Amino acid sequence: MDRRKFLGLGLAALALAPLTKLNATDFRKEKPDAWKAEKPADAIKALYGDIKPEEKGVTIKAPKLAENGGKIPVFVKSDIDAKSVAIFQDANPRAAVAVWTVPEDGIIDYGITIKMKGSGKITAIVEGKDGKFYSKVLPIEVSKGGCGG
Amino acid sequence: MKVKAKEKDGIVKVKVLAKHQNIGPEEAEKKKKEANFITTVVGKVGGKVVYEMNGSGFMSKNPLFKFKFKGKKGDELEVTWTDLKGESKTKKAKIK
Repeated sequence: MDRRKFLGLGLAALALAPLTKLNATDFRKEKPDAWKAEKPADAIKALYGDIKPEEKGVTIKAPKLAENGGKIPVFVKSDIDAKSVAIFQDANPRAAVAVWTVPEDGIIDYGITIKMKGSGKITAIVEGKDGKFYSKVLPIEVSKGGCGG
Repeated sequence: MKVKAKEKDGIVKVKVLAKHQNIGPEEAEKKKKEANFITTVVGKVGGKVVYEMNGSGFMSKNPLFKFKFKGKKGDELEVTWTDLKGESKTKKAKIK
């Protein structure tokens, strides 16, 4: 294979890569405003629109008192047949922490370690396939802030 | 990056430990470093996506991700993270 052909192939592969990489929504690209919002309510609005989530069907597991705000383990669980799951908090400069796209036949039992500047509330939103939204709010006490501390 | 996947009764439990500074913009200013954090984590088995997450600078340093999916022993799980600068790392692990 000559060099030109080889380079051409490489370029073609590069062009194809982003298209085949994800099967669903890249929330960072499609909803940039959701990641800039300061308050959870605004971030939720930017991500999902004007929704009124029901407070049921979602559980958050996290320590009540987190000694180190730099690494707080948070689990979100739900049995709802869902499209996506998002978590927010109100202690940091911006609210959005992470958004999961639930794959087909997926299990909602997501664990993640997050940072929080101080005590605050964690909000989890589950977007059901039935078009409804479900939520859970959990307050957490943080004794040593972990955002830039 | 460390990836561990273990199957029991058709459910695969996965632990992913990504080695990343995960610095948000405010923190970057304080520490005089460039803001950079993991923006996506994708897990695949045989080309099928089993895990997909979009993250922010508010995940911890060296974040730990845990998740479950329906799968079987012997399959290979491939986990890839990508950060704000576009760098990415992929690690494969056999489901035990």
